[in-house]
Amino acid sequence: MIGHAQKLEVSNLRVTGDGGRRLLSVDRLEIRAGSAVVVRGPSGAGKSTFLYALAGMIAPETGQICWGDTDIAPLPEAARAAFRCRNMGFVFQEHLVFEELSAAENAAIAALYSGRALRGKIRDRAATELVRLGLGGVGTRRSDTFSGGERQRIAVARALAGDPGIILADEPTASLDRDNADRLAEDLVTLARTEGRTLIAVSHDPALHDRADRIIDIVDGRLLEGADG
Amino acid sequence: MAEIYHALPTWAQDVLVMLGLLTPLMVVGVIVLRGFHVRPLLVGLLRRQVWISAVFTALIAVSVALGTGLIAQERGLRQGTARAADKFDLIIAAPGSEITAMLAAVYLQPSDLPLLDGATYAEIAQHPRVSLVAPLGFGDSWRDAPVVGTTAGFVDHLSEGLAAGRLFMTEDEAIAGARVSLDIGDSFAPAHGVGDTAEHGAHGDFAYRVVGKMPMTGSPWDRALLVPIESVWSVHGLANGHGPDWDGKIGPPFSPAHFPGTPAALVRAESLGATYSLQAEFSTARTMAFFPGSVLARLHALMGDIRQVMSVLAVITQVLVTAGVLAGLMMLTRLLARRLALLRALGAPRRFVFALTWSYAATLILTGAAIGLVLGIAASLGIGAAITARTDIVVSATLGWPEIHLVAGFVSLTGMLALLPAYLTMTRPLITDLRG
Repeated sequence: MIGHAQKLEVSNLRVTGDGGRRLLSVDRLEIRAGSAVVVRGPSGAGKSTFLYALAGMIAPETGQICWGDTDIAPLPEAARAAFRCRNMGFVFQEHLVFEELSAAENAAIAALYSGRALRGKIRDRAATELVRLGLGGVGTRRSDTFSGGERQRIAVARALAGDPGIILADEPTASLDRDNADRLAEDLVTLARTEGRTLIAVSHDPALHDRADRIIDIVDGRLLEGADG
Repeated sequence: MAEIYHALPTWAQDVLVMLGLLTPLMVVGVIVLRGFHVRPLLVGLLRRQVWISAVFTALIAVSVALGTGLIAQERGLRQGTARAADKFDLIIAAPGSEITAMLAAVYLQPSDLPLLDGATYAEIAQHPRVSLVAPLGFGDSWRDAPVVGTTAGFVDHLSEGLAAGRLFMTEDEAIAGARVSLDIGDSFAPAHGVGDTAEHGAHGDFAYRVVGKMPMTGSPWDRALLVPIESVWSVHGLANGHGPDWDGKIGPPFSPAHFPGTPAALVRAESLGATYSLQAEFSTARTMAFFPGSVLARLHALMGDIRQVMSVLAVITQVLVTAGVLAGLMMLTRLLARRLALLRALGAPRRFVFALTWSYAATLILTGAAIGLVLGIAASLGIGAAITARTDIVVSATLGWPEIHLVAGFVSLTGMLALLPAYLTMTRPLITDLRG
């Protein structure tokens, strides 16, 4: 069963940094459930902050971040983490995996801290995603023996293993060569779109821009395009 | 409750104490790890930080070994010295230091003691409540074995029956301790004095012939040569303890007028009460009567005080080492901060990160403590063997409940302290750590 793809509604979102500096200001934003959205902008514009805020890793100063019926902004960190664990998959820029674990263990990492009833499902799903991403049969290999592109695919499998309705990706192709970047962009968008997941990726990569349903620009912490596209 | 506890056998009480000491750690472990499966990441963490983990574990092991080794060694030494003094019910000597007299008479340590005269010895020997009295004459040696002049009765009492051969019957016969490298039929010439200053040939051509071997006693007497007291006096140019009408049969009774003196006399009484009575009766201005066991108990009490001080020092060392290790862990977790932040970013609860960090620290502590326990006992056995080789007092240091209790308490306490670095890890800023 695929996790519930959820519509995102953001309003009056304000995130401040050290010394009260405004990092992000979003008056209103809606993203349809199941769409693939790319966020782009110059360095320091607040793209990652935006993504981390949507993931509930940053508590905003004010505003609402509604995933479906759930506004995660006012939730305590433990509740936001639980929401993230249940509903979101995350892919980071630098193919962050646990090198000393195998590909299968990395992909199924959520099984370590999920309830006993979910552990088996997460492991099965992780194995399936590894196969779909071309890493079938090498699941028992230690992750530090894989190339950068392969590790990023392990990270994608990890993001999908919990069967989330939302995929968030922070520059997922930035540390890959062109071939690997193209392949990952294709995999990411295809896997999200064909299974009706909402994908929001921060990226400068045209390969992702070309495949996205919608592109949002951020400059100086403000969205230049905010209407539902 | 207390009545039930005291009604239990000692081993069961010790097990209960151990479990009681470990309970806080077990409770914390169950609470912290409940609902999580940290083992793969824990094993990965240990593999990734194998050298740092090994150094931390070694530090804990050494500190635990110090504590356990100390306790085991002290107990082994106490038991060994007590066992060696078992056969010496009451010692009567000329007034002086009881400890010096005990060291000479029981542990055969060379010392200068004033002599008991013949009249006093006769008074002891003829006391109606005395069942055995034997003079002990020191000062000669063969190689590193002290030659002790005494009576056949004492040899019989000490050995509880020879391992081989028979008791001496003439002045030139000797009994060898179990660890003396002489067999029955071998001869040896005694030197005057002991150690490096011994004068070889000082007693002319006089030689003893070994006629019996004692069994192992676990005391310094195992490397002694026991000879008739008459021969010790004779080779030193003194009367041999018997008058002109002596029939040539060695051993008591001795003639007070021809008794050259003895540094100490072992006395056995017909009963425990009689032994106490004799001790009181011969504690006079002319004589000093003491129970080696009592003197030893005073020494052990002193050793016990020292042990307590050293135990406190050992515990302080353990706590300091552990504090150092935990401080190191805090630094280590900063190195691991990005990985731990990644877990949180993926949706792992803070408590999982807490559980992972704590279980890493607990693993190092438990492993270090277990290795330290083994190292402590091994070191204690080694030191015990060295003491045995030097003093012939058999010191056997074995693993005992006090060491287990010490380690259990240590593990429990430090396991609780390890909650602190785990907590600090849990509270680190997620985004800062994630960005590295």
